[in-house]
Amino acid sequence: MRVRDHFELSFANLWKRKLRTFLTAFGVTIGIGALVSMVSFGKGIQKNVTESFRSLDLFNSLTVFSEDFFMGERFDPDRRPAEAPPSGASRALLDDAALEKIAALKGVDTVFPDVRIPAIVRFNGKDEFRLVQVIPAKVASSRMLRFSAGKGYASDEEGSLIVADSLLRQFGVSEPLASLGKKMVISSIGFDFSRLNPVDLTAALVGERLPFTTEDTELTIVGVAESQAFAGPIPVQSDVFIPPGVSKRMKKLPFSNIWDIFRAREGRLGYSALNVRLSSPAFVEPVKKEVTGMGLRVFALADQFKEVQRGFLIMNMVLAAVGMIAIVVASLGIVNTMVMSILERYSEIGIMKAVGASDRDIGRIFFFESSVIGFIGGVFGFALGWAVSVIINRVVNYFLAKQGVPYFPYFSFPVWLALGAIAFSVAVSLAAGVYPAMRAARVDPVRALRHD
Amino acid sequence: MVALQDVSLGLEEGVFAAVTGASGSGKSTLLNLLGGLDTPTSGTIEVRGRKISEMSREELSLYRRSGVGMIFQSFNLIPGFSALENVALPLMFAGVTKRERRNRAGEVLAQVGLGARIAHRPSELSGGEQQRVAIARALVNRPRVLLADEPTGNLDSRTSREIVTLLAVLNRDQGLTVVMVTHEESLAREFAGRGVRLSDGKVQAEERWR
Repeated sequence: MRVRDHFELSFANLWKRKLRTFLTAFGVTIGIGALVSMVSFGKGIQKNVTESFRSLDLFNSLTVFSEDFFMGERFDPDRRPAEAPPSGASRALLDDAALEKIAALKGVDTVFPDVRIPAIVRFNGKDEFRLVQVIPAKVASSRMLRFSAGKGYASDEEGSLIVADSLLRQFGVSEPLASLGKKMVISSIGFDFSRLNPVDLTAALVGERLPFTTEDTELTIVGVAESQAFAGPIPVQSDVFIPPGVSKRMKKLPFSNIWDIFRAREGRLGYSALNVRLSSPAFVEPVKKEVTGMGLRVFALADQFKEVQRGFLIMNMVLAAVGMIAIVVASLGIVNTMVMSILERYSEIGIMKAVGASDRDIGRIFFFESSVIGFIGGVFGFALGWAVSVIINRVVNYFLAKQGVPYFPYFSFPVWLALGAIAFSVAVSLAAGVYPAMRAARVDPVRALRHD
Repeated sequence: MVALQDVSLGLEEGVFAAVTGASGSGKSTLLNLLGGLDTPTSGTIEVRGRKISEMSREELSLYRRSGVGMIFQSFNLIPGFSALENVALPLMFAGVTKRERRNRAGEVLAQVGLGARIAHRPSELSGGEQQRVAIARALVNRPRVLLADEPTGNLDSRTSREIVTLLAVLNRDQGLTVVMVTHEESLAREFAGRGVRLSDGKVQAEERWR
């Protein structure tokens, strides 16, 4: 039998039972659609994360800490105090001397302390609580920040700031260009020593007047950065950046996190962390070795990313497995349809055999039919998966945009996914067609012709 | 259950033979064996020098495709196909192109007197017409042997006579060997040259009628 005849015959047979063909193919469509949207979701997230890591130079970044990032077991509340804390003297202090030393290492491009100031940011009549990050002018003008309008400040002393467009949107500003040159107020919190008198402390203890004071600093917006802008490897996203000179003049708490307090208690107040930029990812290992040798701890995102990639692989497999369930169900639908079809066409099979169809011809007729169902299901399944993800992507981005989250394509549709989905659908349908095809091929023509 | 036993029968090429007998006498089984639809548990069947009792399933399908043609009491046409498509069906399994199939099926239909009804479905044709379509289908691959299993069983006497006449004409004009199972012995005697009577799976009588 010719391949073309096989195709024509299967289309004719499937067309004759339109509703059943449609329902069976629809089952496949849903299965493939689920698989496609699941896989494209996994791939989309992976692609975006990898790309933004790369574009933000995060593979060139190191973060240096003066001690155990998580403070180790010393502060484990379950530990008994009788246990002597390990000596802190051996730990190196993360001060300007250490900074200079690291800056001098080969391959180090920039080093700057990781300073974040808790503050209230006021603009356009609205308040937002933010960790304002201090970054030197040199870093602000580097490619670590991408500007949608304006540029970085020229000097470390300039009374300017850079704001992320996502924050502007939260302030109700949709056009970043329009906010350039406008004033934004950073209201930092300071400790009011004058209020440390017994009277005020009593008031503080009853919760009326805490010994804190706020100070407003008015800064000019010189640059609007794209969201997901430089945040440092520490996974806290900053969206306001100020120069170090301005930060020094601001009244603020001497600590920005709880670890600073512990360090201060030991009488050794260094930076909580240093952000290190390398000229190339190739320097990650040598610099890490040097810095570790100085008694400091190093966190390299490049190392973490290997784990992240493994995590993505697992996530993709889990998503694909969920999609597979629908396909398994759909393939059972194909088996059911084809077996039903054999029973209905029992005498037809007998006639075909009587006029010279071989077992292989008959088997192939059913094989072709199930693969045509699979092909149709695959094509529409891909279209469905694509449509569903476009809709979900739109809806999710619509709601997230309202909260100032920038547009993020959550789904990715590489060409291999389209072709793979269709090929996979046909393959599954062929597998589902094996049993019906074998059964049809084995039909005894004498019995089939008696069957009426 | 044994349908046929100790049957030793020889028919010469070009004969019109009628197989008669009561129902259950093994007539249809004999025909299915000759047509390669069924295989004997023991014994030898040879048609035109080919031992079909020793053929594989694949070889049997080839034999059915072009070695013999078969027609049945219930016509066994595919309901969804037109007369032309039904006749062209064996050619499809032979790998003939669509255009060629249509040409040849049309010719054979014209030959059995149905040239004008090629586009009709079986349900739109009379019993006699359906049997003619079946005959055309049996002949389309140009076999030298035609096997007819009760071809007149579902037809009235006038149409029965027409169909048997057609078989006799094909036998006379084309030298086609025809083996017809029937229980209408009088009609058989009128046209067939040889008579074989079966009873309980055995040959009861073998007669030369002309």
